[in-house]
Amino acid sequence: MALIRVEHLNKSFASRHGSISIMQDISFEVTDSDFLAIVGPSGCGKSTLLRLIQGLDHPTSGQIFFRDQPVDKVCSQMAMVFQSFALFPWLTVSQNVAFGLEALGWPAERIGPQVERYVTVTGLDGFQEAYPRELSGGMRQRVGLARALAVEPAVLLMDEPFSALDPLTAESLREEVLQLWRDPQLPPEAVLLVTHNIEEAIELADRVIVLSRRPGQILAQVAVDLPRPRARKSAAFYDLTDRVYSLITQGGTALAAGARAEGAGHTG
Amino acid sequence: MTEATMVRPVTRGSSSSAVAESDADRDHDANRARPSKNFLPSAGRSLLIYAALPVVAGALLFADTGTSISGILAYFPSATVDVSYSFLRMLAAYALSLGFSLAYGYYAATHRGGERVMIPVLDILQSVPILGFFPFAVAVLAAATPGSFLGPNFASVFLIFTSMAWNMVFGVYESLKTLPGDLKEAADTFGLRGYLLFRRVLFPATVNRLVYNSVLSWTAGWFFLVEAEIFTTNNSNALQGIGSYLSFAASASNGGKFLAGIIVLVVVIALLDFAVWRPLGHWAERFRYDQAPAGDTGEIAPGRDASGRFRRATSFVTRGVRTGVSRITVPFVQLAAITVRPGRVSSARRKSVIYYLSLGSILVVVWLLLIALVVAVIGVYTAPIQGSVRAQIAMVPLAIGASTLRVVAAYAICLAIALPLAMHIARSSRANRVGLPIIEVIASFPATALFPVIIFQLLPYLSPNGAAVLMLMTGMMWYLFFNILSGIRSLPPDLVEAARAYGLKGRKFFRRVLLPGIFPALITGSVTAFGGGWNTLIVAEYLSVGSGQSLSVLGVGQLIDIGNGLGQTGYALMATALFALVGTVIAINELIWKPLYRRAATQYRYD
Repeated sequence: MALIRVEHLNKSFASRHGSISIMQDISFEVTDSDFLAIVGPSGCGKSTLLRLIQGLDHPTSGQIFFRDQPVDKVCSQMAMVFQSFALFPWLTVSQNVAFGLEALGWPAERIGPQVERYVTVTGLDGFQEAYPRELSGGMRQRVGLARALAVEPAVLLMDEPFSALDPLTAESLREEVLQLWRDPQLPPEAVLLVTHNIEEAIELADRVIVLSRRPGQILAQVAVDLPRPRARKSAAFYDLTDRVYSLITQGGTALAAGARAEGAGHTG
Repeated sequence: MTEATMVRPVTRGSSSSAVAESDADRDHDANRARPSKNFLPSAGRSLLIYAALPVVAGALLFADTGTSISGILAYFPSATVDVSYSFLRMLAAYALSLGFSLAYGYYAATHRGGERVMIPVLDILQSVPILGFFPFAVAVLAAATPGSFLGPNFASVFLIFTSMAWNMVFGVYESLKTLPGDLKEAADTFGLRGYLLFRRVLFPATVNRLVYNSVLSWTAGWFFLVEAEIFTTNNSNALQGIGSYLSFAASASNGGKFLAGIIVLVVVIALLDFAVWRPLGHWAERFRYDQAPAGDTGEIAPGRDASGRFRRATSFVTRGVRTGVSRITVPFVQLAAITVRPGRVSSARRKSVIYYLSLGSILVVVWLLLIALVVAVIGVYTAPIQGSVRAQIAMVPLAIGASTLRVVAAYAICLAIALPLAMHIARSSRANRVGLPIIEVIASFPATALFPVIIFQLLPYLSPNGAAVLMLMTGMMWYLFFNILSGIRSLPPDLVEAARAYGLKGRKFFRRVLLPGIFPALITGSVTAFGGGWNTLIVAEYLSVGSGQSLSVLGVGQLIDIGNGLGQTGYALMATALFALVGTVIAINELIWKPLYRRAATQYRYD
């Protein structure tokens, strides 16, 4: 069943110089148990797309459906993890994780155990009373992750979540996110990851949507059939990375040639 | 309150459980949790300085009048009573300011249409030298409530409110407008609304600025309250408070009484500092946005704590500017509010009935006030004006010129002192450790409390104009000093290093790096210093208490005071002098400060 359906999405902004089109005719689906990555050059509207899907913003035309219901306000079944962590400096780790639950109106007796559960799941045990400024970047993003998971969303939206972290921390966090996604007893069902790091997309996702330069259009949807854990140094991995990279750099020419869904293993 | 007392709260949960993180993570966490400075020594130092103030003042000013300790002690009870009255006025004004600034600042920050009106209104209001209106307000209110103590007290509380409120409003407004976009999105994405949004996001975002600005507001408030109380001794409407107490003591050359008053005032201010502001400052630290970079990039070189320096700089920036704290940013904010933001989808928030009702009622009230003002002014000028008063009105242009000259002279002297002083303090860590606490304590004490002494005891030694300029200086000095200091401290260290690497020293460094670098802060300091100067005029140019010396030099302040003393017949004189003053201030604002601000915004920005 398609959890999310995006149909013919267009987004443009009004500015002094007239109308600027950010996205054109974006259509795709996210099924449950999907791990979908969206890559593209900077400015192609990937982050805007994520906000449109969550309902933080409204498209100029086109529709977004979550479980067949149109998304016209912020969807509480999706939760976002931010590139800059977006933790509230005056709240402790526990209070930050409880943030979404408070907004949903959960009673205090239920919030406590729920927060504890996800604090432990994300490896933050012992830091419940710490403030974000006392944590390193990796720990802060874990708090962001815990906060998103605590509301038990069906879809986890991630906006370049690892780009502000050093490579080692980012790698361990990626593995954690994969584990969480694969665990049937833990949210989320599906993950939508926006990133400019192509290797990261190939390593994590089942399907990679490649966007063109502004105005962003879907160049291709590349399926990644490699078994997990994925070896970065394998030939198949390199091929896929190359393919996506050339799709992005060729941009307009790829569009002119017609976007075709391509499977793994094809070369050239 | 010095920044050295801001100890970072050390909070770590039980660290016994194994956590999946790299060793680098753990070390970095340990570094962060280390407290930055020791609380006690600087608190003790401040205490000493507080204690030294009255001793030094007493020794200097009353060396010859053989006052005894018992003589001083005898006056403590009456001094305490009078200081309490003053304190109550301050408290009432502060409560008003707090409520007003939260409401007004929040409203302006969240309603685009309201913002376009509310912020420029504040801009004008804060440049009006409100103290000039004080005599008028007192006269009107005293006439309206004859014999009652309410009239002058209301006037004084309102006056203090106006000296406190504007910078607090701007503090709330700015902290809400500069709420990081990702935090706003996080609140939106989790659906936070209404009271919960206020409690968890909006109010905490303003706490930092509110606390700092409250400290500044109180400092300015004391200054103007004492000035207002001194002023009321000009006629029979003397407000009972520390200002009048000191005036009467000084005019009667009663050294013991004066010293007792000073001591009690210092004790109250010191108590407030230790019992209220320092704890509040500690608590407010929690609400700071962390400036240090996340992640383990970059060692912090020993002895050059970059984040510490930035922290100090920001704390001085907020602390050094008293009224109109956002002078430098208001033009930016206004420009930003005007430029079209591409892509901002008009929010689906429908304007509720309450919004229109409240906006409508505010507009109605403003219109009524304006009409009342116009009617009053017409009434004042159509009444027959005595010949003597008419002659004085004719002197208004000359008076404006004289007052402006005095303010400019005071400014020039302050600049000549503040600039080298700030440079010295910024450069020498010893001067910083020793000198800065002294200056901070002195700056938190209302200099107007010493005006009676300057007028009644020192007048024989200074010319009247000299005394006036000296008093003006006390109202201008600290605005200038703290702004320049913060400007020097927030010079990007890499710019300074680059200059030194290319061998720039001395005068060249001063001209090419320092002055341009601190230009925005210099403008801010100058504008607020002038504001302080205008506000000090009514006491600096005319004071007559009892049988002692009196001061009277030609100037706008003097004319306002004279008009006040004439009662009803003097209304025309007061009004004219007042309009002339306001007109001059606005003219200088538009012709000098605004263009300089624009230059600062474009040419001297660091991005």
